[in-house]
Amino acid sequence: MTSLAAAQVQEVRSITRIERIGAHSHIRGLGLDDALEPRAVSQGMVGQKMARKAAGVILQMIREGKIAGRAVLLAGQPGTGKTAIAMGLAQALGPDTPFTSMAGSEIYSLEMSKTEALTQAIRKSIGIRIKEESEIIEGEVVEVVVERGIGAGGARTGRLTLKTTDMETNYDMGTKMIDSLLKEKVQAGDVITIDKATGKINRLGRSFARARDYDATGQQARFVQCPEGELQKRKEVVHTVTLHEVDVINSRTHGFLALFSGDTGEIKSEIREQINCKVAEWREEGKAEMIPGVLFIDEAHMLDIECFSFMNRALESDTAPIVIMATNRGITRIRGTNYKSPHGIPLDLLDRMIIVPTAPYSHQELREILNIRCEEEDCQMSADALTVLTRVATETSLRYAIQLITTASLVARRRKATEVSMEDVKKVYSLFLDEHRSEQFLKEYQDEFMFNDGSGDGHQMDIMH
Amino acid sequence: MDDQAKTLKYLVSVEKLAEEILSDKHEIVLLDKRRNQNREALRDINKSSQKKCWLAVGSVLVKHNIEDTKELLENDQKQINIEINKLRSNLKIKVNNLRDLEMQPPVPGLMLVPMSNKESRTLATSGLIN
Repeated sequence: MTSLAAAQVQEVRSITRIERIGAHSHIRGLGLDDALEPRAVSQGMVGQKMARKAAGVILQMIREGKIAGRAVLLAGQPGTGKTAIAMGLAQALGPDTPFTSMAGSEIYSLEMSKTEALTQAIRKSIGIRIKEESEIIEGEVVEVVVERGIGAGGARTGRLTLKTTDMETNYDMGTKMIDSLLKEKVQAGDVITIDKATGKINRLGRSFARARDYDATGQQARFVQCPEGELQKRKEVVHTVTLHEVDVINSRTHGFLALFSGDTGEIKSEIREQINCKVAEWREEGKAEMIPGVLFIDEAHMLDIECFSFMNRALESDTAPIVIMATNRGITRIRGTNYKSPHGIPLDLLDRMIIVPTAPYSHQELREILNIRCEEEDCQMSADALTVLTRVATETSLRYAIQLITTASLVARRRKATEVSMEDVKKVYSLFLDEHRSEQFLKEYQDEFMFNDGSGDGHQMDIMH
Repeated sequence: MDDQAKTLKYLVSVEKLAEEILSDKHEIVLLDKRRNQNREALRDINKSSQKKCWLAVGSVLVKHNIEDTKELLENDQKQINIEINKLRSNLKIKVNNLRDLEMQPPVPGLMLVPMSNKESRTLATSGLIN
């Protein structure tokens, strides 16, 4: 019993493992109702109704799985919830649909070419579903009897009695099965499965009915329910793997250990070709299903012209995922060229995209978001403090106001108050500058900073000598 | 009134299908029970050295030739296996139909053809699935 309690405690601990609070940790979904209409405040989402509704339509498209190779662009000013919408989309899709999130600048690495990094990201976003099937015998062991044959070299024979809640039966066993039963240390009261094809024995744990057999049990004793129904079951397991995982395992130089170490390097295109062939074959035989997922590229203006033209081509393939990009740039230079273009994305790619704009939050919405963040960060805030904070958010930025929540709550805790008051917020407002005030300060005292007028260079040389 | 009739009709169809699924599952359990009993009997017949054995037909005990009994049992085993497989594959369709009626998405990958033994073994050893 003690070990049972201990096991439970351990389980609880693993669930409430320390989770750090991220910038978008309060988002649980898109906050839409069944008709895809956005609710005002739901699942951590506030306002931005048009963009959320558009995301809901995209969500439906992805779920139906019929379309592939589309691109969506989330465009809007900084701090208008572009990443939040992408995160909400990922949450709403559930764990079964592959969702890859990356920042535009992640593709620049010395180990890998830009297109290789993009290809890997694309293949990470495409899942294939395959099924494994096995006939197993599952039951609780009632008794194991092993008889030794007469004489020294006598063959052993044995009998195994298994039961479920519905039936009980005997199995005669040969020497091999006896050996593997003994190796697994199977005894009466254990719940086991036997694979019919391979004869592999797997101990699932001890039956609950036998929990009181002994006063003290080992740490690793696990108690399970006596199985129900038939003894000989058909077990079907559906696995979802991404194409990238298949690539990594099949790339001979790395093998499956690369999956864990993360050091995949470049994968040869012949290997990808072979895998595509195999997957196509499986699909034809009905053995595999394709799940086009989502590739989210944040800060998409950081991609350069080569990446954009590569994306253009990659989106044509019938196994392309849905690509969502987010950018906060207006009309700006396309990286790698001297041409200017809206959002820093070339016009031909832009033409393939559906563009979802996000608009700045209203006063009321800002207040709601700050309120949600306060809850997320476990911080009690008085109403007038929240009002002040909302004004800070409108005048400076939402991100700055969110930074002030934790800092203000720390100040409040120092004076042993349970609630953050207006004074606390004002104090941290004076302690920590926002970007605008910092800029003003710099302009005022520019002359007193180093290296501001070109003479700094010589000065630095002096220091080095 | 019309709405009520519609709701009733819907509920009846859902319940009917659900009941069918449950009874099919029960049927499989009963068949498996018989399959195991037959298997035990076959094993005992193989071990015994007698020429005749007792056979229970309903509530009547019949003394029967052992070779014929064996054949009877083996045929029965074959029939049961076919029956169980049929029920299992029909169950899948019924479950999906029920989920369709209840406005739930179908179970992912339910209708997939399973990987062959060899394929799943290689996939497992490569660490892709476990």
